[in-house]
Amino acid sequence: MSLKTAHEIAEAGIITEAGNAEEYKTGDWRTFVPQFVEENCIHCMFCWIWCPDSAIEIDTSGEKPLVTGIVLDHCKGCGICAHECPPAKKGKSALVMVREEK
Amino acid sequence: MSDQMVEIRWHARGGQGAKTAAIFVAEAVLDKGKFGQGFPEYGPERRGAPVRGYTRISDIPIRRHCSIENPDVVIILDPTLIQSTAAAVTVGTRPETIFLVNTTENPAEIRKRLRVNGNPVHTVDATGIALDSFGKSIPNMPMIGALLKVVELMTIEELQNSLAARFKEKFSQAVIDGNLTAVARAHEELMSE
Repeated sequence: MSLKTAHEIAEAGIITEAGNAEEYKTGDWRTFVPQFVEENCIHCMFCWIWCPDSAIEIDTSGEKPLVTGIVLDHCKGCGICAHECPPAKKGKSALVMVREEK
Repeated sequence: MSDQMVEIRWHARGGQGAKTAAIFVAEAVLDKGKFGQGFPEYGPERRGAPVRGYTRISDIPIRRHCSIENPDVVIILDPTLIQSTAAAVTVGTRPETIFLVNTTENPAEIRKRLRVNGNPVHTVDATGIALDSFGKSIPNMPMIGALLKVVELMTIEELQNSLAARFKEKFSQAVIDGNLTAVARAHEELMSE
């Protein structure tokens, strides 16, 4: 998002571009951070659906969508993804919450 | 630090308990016959927003009621606030101002990040201690335990008695016990430089 001059901004400062939430980096503090364990992932997309902050990175270029990782610029460390991960119920979670060192 | 008054500034994020801690310390010294004052300052009222807390402790009545601009002690409950310009943790500090930071890093590394020279810097992993002791990421009470090692306000037993008495109506015995051990552990595990 590049800066605009006053006359380029819509009336009342309305934002007209769609999907600009992605530009807004919010995940700069958290206690826990999810770690993606690729070999346990069954690519069910549960984490992608549940994530409140669109922090799950997926690859949609193939026939089936694949989970590729976590966007830490958006992740708040809420742990919903790790909680909902179906492989976790069999003890082989694809998303493990670990304490973030800082 | 004047002989009579200690001014403490707390930097934290909403939900970490800085407001509670700032007021708690002020109330706890009342039991010792000292004078105390504790109050918070919020920006946006949401979890995670940077907040400040202020504590004044004195042997004589406190006539000053403003926010603390030149603290004797700066307590940082969230290390990501060090980089934050909004939190401005080092503003108004003097060369003898004591820094107490909740982090897994050692004091030397934190001193570099704070960009201060000569100031005493102390660190303790209060979040880790809180998670171990009562399972929640609320590092305020362990931080008070660590604070007592830096500034002699009261003994650790006096703090624990005060904590048990004040928490009795609000929390379960399990939470109180967890906080009591957390306070003692933080007091022991403080790293100084």
